[in-house]
Amino acid sequence: MPAINIGEVSKGTKLIFDNAPWLVLEVNYVKPGKGNAFYKMRVQNLLTRYTLEKTLRGGEKVEGADVTDTEMQYMYFDGSGYVFMDKTSFEQLTIPAKAVGDDKDFLLENMDVWVTLWNSEPISLRLPNTVTMEVDYTEPAVKGDTQSRVMKPAKLKGTGATVPVPIFVAIGDKITVNTQTREYSGRVLK
Amino acid sequence: MPGSAMSEAPGPHGEAWRPSATREALRQRAELVERTRRFFADRGVLEVDTPVLQGGANLDSGVLPFRLELPGGPRFLPTSPEHPLKRLLAAGSGDVWTLAPAFRSQELGRLHSPEFRMLEWYRLGWDDTRLLDEVVALFASLTGAPAQLEVLSWREAFRRHAGIDPHSVDDQTLARVIGDDAAIVAGDRRAALDLVQVARVEPHLGIGRWTALVDYPAEASAQARLRTGEDGLQVAARFEVYRDGIELANGYHELTDAAELASRLEAELRSRSGGELHDQRFAEAMRAGLPDCAGVAVGFDRLVMLALRLPSVALTRAFAWERQ
Repeated sequence: MPAINIGEVSKGTKLIFDNAPWLVLEVNYVKPGKGNAFYKMRVQNLLTRYTLEKTLRGGEKVEGADVTDTEMQYMYFDGSGYVFMDKTSFEQLTIPAKAVGDDKDFLLENMDVWVTLWNSEPISLRLPNTVTMEVDYTEPAVKGDTQSRVMKPAKLKGTGATVPVPIFVAIGDKITVNTQTREYSGRVLK
Repeated sequence: MPGSAMSEAPGPHGEAWRPSATREALRQRAELVERTRRFFADRGVLEVDTPVLQGGANLDSGVLPFRLELPGGPRFLPTSPEHPLKRLLAAGSGDVWTLAPAFRSQELGRLHSPEFRMLEWYRLGWDDTRLLDEVVALFASLTGAPAQLEVLSWREAFRRHAGIDPHSVDDQTLARVIGDDAAIVAGDRRAALDLVQVARVEPHLGIGRWTALVDYPAEASAQARLRTGEDGLQVAARFEVYRDGIELANGYHELTDAAELASRLEAELRSRSGGELHDQRFAEAMRAGLPDCAGVAVGFDRLVMLALRLPSVALTRAFAWERQ
């Protein structure tokens, strides 16, 4: 990637620092009236999700990162990685289990996700914020009690993940789960 | 508001063809312009228009002009209307003011835009102290905040808010005060002090009143004359006015020594590589003689932002940089 003048960096720009790709979350220009300019940025490491503040001097050049987001459909797990299909080119791509991490708990076949590629290699994926999952097993439902805040574990079909659900939820119910907080967010009415 | 410089810049909303400011903001902005005009009319200061395509570049430290390639040769967008205003003064115009477009390359943020409006005026026979009072009187009348002013020397501001004496601090202490970012200014003392100023000092200036920073170090004199400060050191006859941690105005008791000015501009030009050229007509006017005067430049969009309690300069302009 070509060198970018620091003055052209804005929110959303992807840069290379210390051999890793970083996303610029925020950039602010500061300078005393007649003096040296500084760019104070908040950046997120796209590999580790770690964020930090970084200050650069005006006039510096930075290296842009070749990072793109592509919409892909999840197909199957091949034993070591998760196989996805690019929805426009129909090309298949395997994402190592490490890059998928705990997101595997909510990854269902045929689900559309956003995959982040760095130099054409997948580095992470982004699930929909909410997914609908079927309850494979949970303790018998307590009927009528829809107000209770008491929770019980429920095992989800397809991934085997367990999330806490309210006690009125029964086996076979379809529930919605927030993929960011990993929390139950509602029951899909039949 | 310590730390406010790092908060996200709230930008304009809606589709990109739409204005950045609300109609109400534009109405209040127009009213502020009108009150500014009355302020100077009442005081007998002449309003003038200044050109936007200059033959030569402004050479202010740390401020980069846009260079345009035109059929008759290069032109430079003004980083402030200083040159034409000083040429008028040299020609005997008397007190003058303008509200003019100004342009600074690579400056964009919550408080910066590459294109903005500069309010600038000059007072014949005045010094920086007298002009400072007038600046605060105008700001108070435009914003409704009382004209309560704290005057702080540049040195005292560092002592009080960063805990260091900027004249005598050793490099290790300076690096420790800067923290993680020390590496980017290693070996450049001026830049290190600038970083302390923006990160540690400025957020504390102008909280609940107007704060003027005065007695700048001689090396940051720009086009201000030098004088001996309280502690016997040479200081610049220059002030900056802050409110809520935001710098609004930069004023000088103007340097009138043409030879000294030429050598400062020459040194500044040598440090650059952006194809800047001297403004020859400005230099000639300075040789013909700038009368004794004080002048000040005000970021008008910031003043509007403050008066209207908006979070960014973008929201004060009909069309902010992102929508131009």
